[in-house]
Amino acid sequence: MTKEPSSSRNQTKNDSLFTDDFQHNITLIYEAFSYPTNQSLKTRQFSALQGTMSGILFFLEGTVEETTVETHVMKPLYELSDKPEDGKVVDMLANSVLLTTAIREIVRLQDAVHDLLNGNCLILLENEKIAISANTASFEKRVVSEPTVENVVRGPKEAFIESMAVNQSLLRRQVKDSRLICENMTVGDVFSNEVSIMYIKGIADDKLIKEVKQKVEGIQTDVIQNLSILEQFIESRTYSLVPSTLMTERPDRATSFLLGGHILLLMNNSPYALIVPITFWSLFHTAEDQYLRWANVNFIRIISILAIFIAIFTPSIYLAASTFHVEMLPPDLLFAIAATREIVPIPVLWEIILLEFTFEILREAGIRIPSVIGPTIGIVGALILGQAAVQANLVSPIIVIVVAITGLSSFVIQDLSLNFMIRILRFLFIFIANFMGFFGIFLAVACTIAYMSSLKSFNVPFFSPLAPYFHSQRGVVFRKPVWKQALVPFFSNSRYKKKVSNPKVGSRDD
Amino acid sequence: MRDKWLIILLPSLALLSGCWDKIELEERGYAVVLGLDKSEEDHMVDVTFQIENPQVGSTSQSVAQNEPPSDILTITATDIISAKELANSIVSREIDLSQLQTIIIGEEFARSDYFNNIIGSSVRDPEIRRKMMLIVSKEKASEFIHSNHSKLETRPHKYYSFMRDRWKDTGYVPLSDLNRYFQRTANALFLVIYASTEKEPEIRKSSDNYKAGQVPQEAGDPAQMIGSAVFQNGKMIGTLTGEETRYVLLLRKKSIANHYVDSFKDPIDNDRKISVRLLKEKKTTVKVDVEKANPEVRVHVPITVQVLSSPSLHNYAYTKERQRMLKEEIHEDLHAKIMQLIKKTQEEFGGEPFIWFQLARREFWTMDAYEDYDWQKKYRNADIQVELDITIESFGSQLKPPHVGRGD
Repeated sequence: MTKEPSSSRNQTKNDSLFTDDFQHNITLIYEAFSYPTNQSLKTRQFSALQGTMSGILFFLEGTVEETTVETHVMKPLYELSDKPEDGKVVDMLANSVLLTTAIREIVRLQDAVHDLLNGNCLILLENEKIAISANTASFEKRVVSEPTVENVVRGPKEAFIESMAVNQSLLRRQVKDSRLICENMTVGDVFSNEVSIMYIKGIADDKLIKEVKQKVEGIQTDVIQNLSILEQFIESRTYSLVPSTLMTERPDRATSFLLGGHILLLMNNSPYALIVPITFWSLFHTAEDQYLRWANVNFIRIISILAIFIAIFTPSIYLAASTFHVEMLPPDLLFAIAATREIVPIPVLWEIILLEFTFEILREAGIRIPSVIGPTIGIVGALILGQAAVQANLVSPIIVIVVAITGLSSFVIQDLSLNFMIRILRFLFIFIANFMGFFGIFLAVACTIAYMSSLKSFNVPFFSPLAPYFHSQRGVVFRKPVWKQALVPFFSNSRYKKKVSNPKVGSRDD
Repeated sequence: MRDKWLIILLPSLALLSGCWDKIELEERGYAVVLGLDKSEEDHMVDVTFQIENPQVGSTSQSVAQNEPPSDILTITATDIISAKELANSIVSREIDLSQLQTIIIGEEFARSDYFNNIIGSSVRDPEIRRKMMLIVSKEKASEFIHSNHSKLETRPHKYYSFMRDRWKDTGYVPLSDLNRYFQRTANALFLVIYASTEKEPEIRKSSDNYKAGQVPQEAGDPAQMIGSAVFQNGKMIGTLTGEETRYVLLLRKKSIANHYVDSFKDPIDNDRKISVRLLKEKKTTVKVDVEKANPEVRVHVPITVQVLSSPSLHNYAYTKERQRMLKEEIHEDLHAKIMQLIKKTQEEFGGEPFIWFQLARREFWTMDAYEDYDWQKKYRNADIQVELDITIESFGSQLKPPHVGRGD
């Protein structure tokens, strides 16, 4: 297995050209694909023009649409009647015979192999040193289906799939504009894969585009399977809990990022779009934010902010209040907690850790478990487990409430990276609270905020446009009515202070 | 390398610091009521702690069947904090005063010189909250705490927190907390809730002219809380009845009890009484003139009256004349009682509980000038006039008396 990459690397290095020798050319292809050991390479000998022209057609099984090969390549060849007068058979075939959407004349073996791998079929003719590659690609893919993670109640119900071409089509349908640029690059030194960088020219910052391209170009690795791995190569801080890129599976959300001047990366085999750069607010906002009415969306925003704080702080605040600051608890609650704590053998810190870890285990189990039995476990399991733990006097009932509300709140945070950040931060706060109470919590909060506001994702401050403050873009915490919103690039340097669209397009109530 | 050091240093910072005062909450014993009594020894005080048992009455999850709702113990010590330390030799949990909301002071102790020293020094402890309610009990505080077991409230802290809300409505007792005590005790008379579990009932016609212990009561909870103990310069000097306490609150610029029910003589049928609700919807206006030799105080009390019941069954709603009679009767009655109260404060106590000192203090440019003036002393000879502005607002939802009686 380890030998294969090096041999293929040799192959690309030893770039050989096709020659007049028909048999030699065929052998080159056979050797490149280890035929006949490798049965994927299919060949078809043919002769046309009353036997005066003969050749061979190659394609890789499973990469081409066979009916296209039959109707657009083979059929025109057989129906050919006249030989060109100037004798340039290849030109004639390429220009006026073959009916596929793209035709390429190939002289180098390396290109031939590349095209074959990408679903083209290759025609080699006798006595010709130029091969013809015709686009007949058709890889298996699933149909566009509903999003599974970023669900919305109101809004488009389609999600990206594993095919980059389809994903681009989904985006093109939403942005019908010539300024939507799609640049393709290859990553992976040995097994290369295509990355498509999409942005809107004139809205996305040129420097940013350059930086992203440089980062992608600079990746030195054998293979990058998909976007999730690419993300880890290009993110700003690898060891930071705070994410610097965002993945979305929704074309509509990706489009709104595009329109806001972000850069999108697409790859085959990844049903996501990778968005760079990001701010905290792009992680915090959900896909539905623009689709709901003004009051409704702001209500949701309040709930989400609360949920974030609950998810981070509830266990640590409970811990701090119950071990350092009992005077904060109202007497009724205090006595109820004290009564149940009395028969619990472990300190409150371990109670929390025990149940928090149980909850995280259940959560992880819920993802890994086969989907047939999946629904039965999950939160219900956690609560039942909690109840049983209470009855066994292992934990006190209030801890179950604390952990349940914390866990539930963390589900409100849709973005996976932010979600993980909050879940891990929570443990940090629990430990600090155990040692230093509220004093420690506030110290840690100060440190966290200082750290996060110093972060940059592709040179964009993580908390912009609030810190540093840009007047042009308000409405990150609470949304304005849509007709008051202007489409302003999310991170505006002086070039982009002007508004891109007219803010008064919507109808005012008068 | 620097990062590695950080990773090692940060957690050790957390591990090596903190935790000093960390105690799990079930390891503490929460004293919810504190009693203070004069000790037989000089400069000593009997401190009674009522420590609530969390396992009784607070949750159904873990109930201790055979334990009482609270543990009461009395320690003789030099002050509250050392009593708390000593009590730890007896009680299984570390005594915690952070949930303490009520301090009961025995009347004997309150009348002694030592009271102010004890209460004044206690606030150094951060656990003593200034929001704590003060109550003076006629008997010894320890006796009061021992015999005060409410039938409705198992947990003592709940009893006191409910009672505090009731008092706001009735106006029979003042709102007296530790913070107000420190604010007012030097300048004016300070009123403290007066309570008792010893009963010597006296039946009086004037419905609320009682002190604690005098309310005719059969069965029910043992403690009566009505009237107030009067403190001057950190020492108890006398008592006021429930009725008098209400008038004090009425004459204050703003009072916490804004409405209460009172009864007056029926102006037509003099043997019967009319029950009305008195509301103070606007603030009392008080003008203090300190220019003259004897200060002049002009008080204007706006009172709104709602007639609740008239057992004489006379119809007051329909004629202006009868309304005027009723108004006059209320005015006369109230005015006489109020003036009597003012006289009592001037002559008997030599100070005012109406917090007028704040208004007088305003008239001076400097604190020194005010202190030189000596408001408390000047008050004794002050010329005080009280004007009552009575408006009858309503006669209830049923205007006409029922036909069966002698009505119109």
